[in-house]
Amino acid sequence: MTMLRATIGAEWIKLWTTRTVWWALTAALVLMAAGAGQYALYAENGDIDQTGAGEIAVLGLSFAQLAFLALATIVMTSEYSTGTMRATLTWTPVRSRLLLAKSAVIAGVTLVAGTVAGFVGVAVAAPILGNSSMGAVAPKMGLYLALLGVFAVGLGAALRGPVVSLVVLLMLVVVVPPLLQVPDLAVLNTIADALPGVAGQRFLLENSYGGLVIVAAWATAAFLIGARVLRRRDA
Amino acid sequence: MLITLEKLTKRFGATTAVDGLDLEVRPGRVTGFLGPNGAGKSTTLRMILDLDRPTSGRALLGGRPYSSYALPLRKVGAVLEAKAAHPGRTGRNHLLAMARSNAIAPARVDEVLELVGLSKNARKRTGTYSLGMGQRLGIAGALLGDPPVLILDEPVNGLDPDGVRWIRGLMRDLAAEGRTVLVSSHLLSEMQMTADHLIVIGHGRLLADAPLDEILSGHASLEDAYYTLTEGTALR
Ligand SMILES: Nc1ncnc2c1ncn2[C@@H]1O[C@H](COP(=O)(O)OP(=O)(O)OP(=O)(O)O)[C@@H](O)[C@H]1O
Ligand SMILES: [Mg+2]
Repeated sequence: MTMLRATIGAEWIKLWTTRTVWWALTAALVLMAAGAGQYALYAENGDIDQTGAGEIAVLGLSFAQLAFLALATIVMTSEYSTGTMRATLTWTPVRSRLLLAKSAVIAGVTLVAGTVAGFVGVAVAAPILGNSSMGAVAPKMGLYLALLGVFAVGLGAALRGPVVSLVVLLMLVVVVPPLLQVPDLAVLNTIADALPGVAGQRFLLENSYGGLVIVAAWATAAFLIGARVLRRRDA
Repeated sequence: MLITLEKLTKRFGATTAVDGLDLEVRPGRVTGFLGPNGAGKSTTLRMILDLDRPTSGRALLGGRPYSSYALPLRKVGAVLEAKAAHPGRTGRNHLLAMARSNAIAPARVDEVLELVGLSKNARKRTGTYSLGMGQRLGIAGALLGDPPVLILDEPVNGLDPDGVRWIRGLMRDLAAEGRTVLVSSHLLSEMQMTADHLIVIGHGRLLADAPLDEILSGHASLEDAYYTLTEGTALR
């Protein structure tokens, strides 16, 4: 336990001592404000069905989450792209502890920053829509993003390359679900529902805890696979 | 603390990088690790640090695998390659994170920075460091935990003449304090001045494991002795 705390401490220092995190968090907030503002205007015009500020913030999240996903992916894969992984593993040779520490740091930061982003989205949308602020969804966004962050870290550990990791991640979360949903076939819809992006939306918009469980399952699976690859493969 | 290799073997596909190395590296002396390009030196050192998994056999430090130590930086200091730090992080922050990971007091960071002569550049991002500055940062990291074992893969690479002389003295001092110092190098005249004992490998196999004097006897220089030992194992 004390060792885990030391590893988390080291990963915490590492996270805040390159510029990546600042770029990513700034981008996330800007994307959230812009996305929520834009969707709120659509809603005001009657172009979309959603009308609550909370719902609009969830729509805005579809942009903002890209910055969080990029951050979580980079935290893991930059160790390989900059050649620091071997050094990192000499500090912390226990692979599962290292992955746990990285996941914990990313989960903590995305939980807090994601919640803040949620409040920003609601704060931007509410005045445009003229409804009173509905911030209840914000902590749920933080939770969703934290799980997605763990998913991205695990995936990065399994795949190692920043580009391949980000592509796979975006496919699963952003690109594939709408493609599956277009034909509106029951089978394809069921598959789409099981993907992390759609499950997350159901959790955020419909309060579906089944959706939350699905996202958590993806995160757990990616973590376990990442830990296994870290243990098995040469650094 | 003893480094023990037991029938250590590593294959990468069809290449056998390390082929049944069976030896001990003892404390209290500088052990030079020599061999042509591709002989398997770096692979051996990576296996000692549990970075590469041996195909068979094992490498132990004080009778235990590297990863069994809770605070490994206090047991072993290693310089593997000059690029051990994220280019966007300052040298000092790199060492602070490293110290934190092994519960080493932050004050020690400034001590080792001073020791390797990097204090003035400690707050610059490592991406701006010269080759030799990167090497010094690596050495600072190796010394951070005041470890009884030092493993250095071509540490002289990129150092200026002052740096070369400094690290020679440093390695000799560390060995004189009773530490185990294992250092790979291609600079034979430098090794002749630094090492007490030599391990020479070629194609992953042990060619010599003997005191410097013994290897030198009958030869004009270490270079001469080296060519005789490694004949036929060099890349071309
Ligand atoms: N990750 C790897 N994948 C495949 N082959 C590898 C890998 N690492 C090393 N090798 C091969 O193993 C052999 C030994 O390489 P190694 O880097 O250990 O040699 P070395 O003695 O350190 O050489 P040098 O003096 O050039 O540093 C070489 O044939 C090399 O091509
Ligand atoms: Mg090498």
